[in-house]
Amino acid sequence: MIEKEIIEEILHNLKEINAKLDKIILNGNMPYPDEEINSSDSLDVMMLLSLPDHLRTTATTLFEIGPATAEDIAEVTRKERAVESNYLNQLVRMGHVEKYREGRKVYFHINNKLC
Amino acid sequence: MALTIAVHSAKGGTGKTSIAVNLAIAYALDGRKVCLLDMDLRGPTLRTFFDDGSSEVPFWVNDLLSGKKGINEVVMDTGVDLGMAGKVSVAYSKADIFEIRELASKDRKWQSNALKNIITGKKELIRNGTEVIILDTGPGVEYESINAVAACDLVLIVHSSTKACSECTEQLVNGVYKSLNKKCAIVDNMHHCSLDDDTLDGMRYGFPVIAAIPCICDIAKRSGEILVLSDREHEFSRAICDIKDKLGRIL
Ligand SMILES: Nc1ncnc2c1ncn2[C@@H]1O[C@H](COP(=O)(O)OP(=O)(O)O)[C@@H](O)[C@H]1O
Ligand SMILES: [Mg+2]
Repeated sequence: MIEKEIIEEILHNLKEINAKLDKIILNGNMPYPDEEINSSDSLDVMMLLSLPDHLRTTATTLFEIGPATAEDIAEVTRKERAVESNYLNQLVRMGHVEKYREGRKVYFHINNKLC
Repeated sequence: MALTIAVHSAKGGTGKTSIAVNLAIAYALDGRKVCLLDMDLRGPTLRTFFDDGSSEVPFWVNDLLSGKKGINEVVMDTGVDLGMAGKVSVAYSKADIFEIRELASKDRKWQSNALKNIITGKKELIRNGTEVIILDTGPGVEYESINAVAACDLVLIVHSSTKACSECTEQLVNGVYKSLNKKCAIVDNMHHCSLDDDTLDGMRYGFPVIAAIPCICDIAKRSGEILVLSDREHEFSRAICDIKDKLGRIL
């Protein structure tokens, strides 16, 4: 069961790396072009209220304890780490949350890029 | 365990600030270390309880929200003499029309950062030993108020007995408090018996109604006076202490 989760995550990460490589190739050598420049993506409290329940819980928790890993969030929400990881990545795709890597850990935080 | 209470209501003038101030002092009289923050940035009145507006305020809650200053720089002593009891510090927001106008033009990005700054500030206060944080908010769904609600552990809903207030409160309960998963307690202020039929076994909208304070002209006449300090036997003061004790049982 755990192994399956790990493989899924590796696959997911590989896909992401692939997508990023594609972008880099398409845009010369500029990494992460045109990403997250849309200020309407910022996650304020009104946007928080309009999220579906499961994502709202994850996002509210991230406001409270972020930057945090999926595991940190799962500890608070008492859901599976893989579930929170999935929700967090959904929030990343919506532009509300950003993630970065530190060593072997992936941290998430509320998108706070100034426009 | 530290506790952050947001005093909020659907409508204005329900008694939020009066209750927030007196509750803060009541906790301090119990020996607690308390911090009171004015989150009603569009109509700040907290300061009227503590000074005549002439004293020097170095920094404001506005500076905390915008990220210009940290919580320790905006919080100051109230100057209230509590004798041997606890301590109340306070942070005011700026009652200046230019400041308030500017606030209305802030975008969502700014508001998102403001929420983060409030949460960071709250954690810092708690780390430094503050036991009770009370956020006095403005009415309705203004950004500053909802940010305060998002940052609190418990919403003290101050409800005045009018039909308009009931309808708006129900909207807030379902659209904000429950959505944000907040614990709530209701205070019926300026209460008269004609409109409490929606309370069942002391509960309304699924939250406990922990006090009913009657409408008393004396309270309005003495607004600006901290009754729990100056008149402990006043009906209002006793109601405040009762609220404090009941909150202790909810949490
Ligand atoms: N129970 C009460 N009976 C009569 N007047 C009250 C009562 N509670 C508060 N007030 C008065 O109502 C006015 C508005 O109260 P305030 O605390 O400023 O409300 P808010 O902060 O919700 O706008 C003040 O003059 C206050 O003294
Ligand atoms: Mg007020």
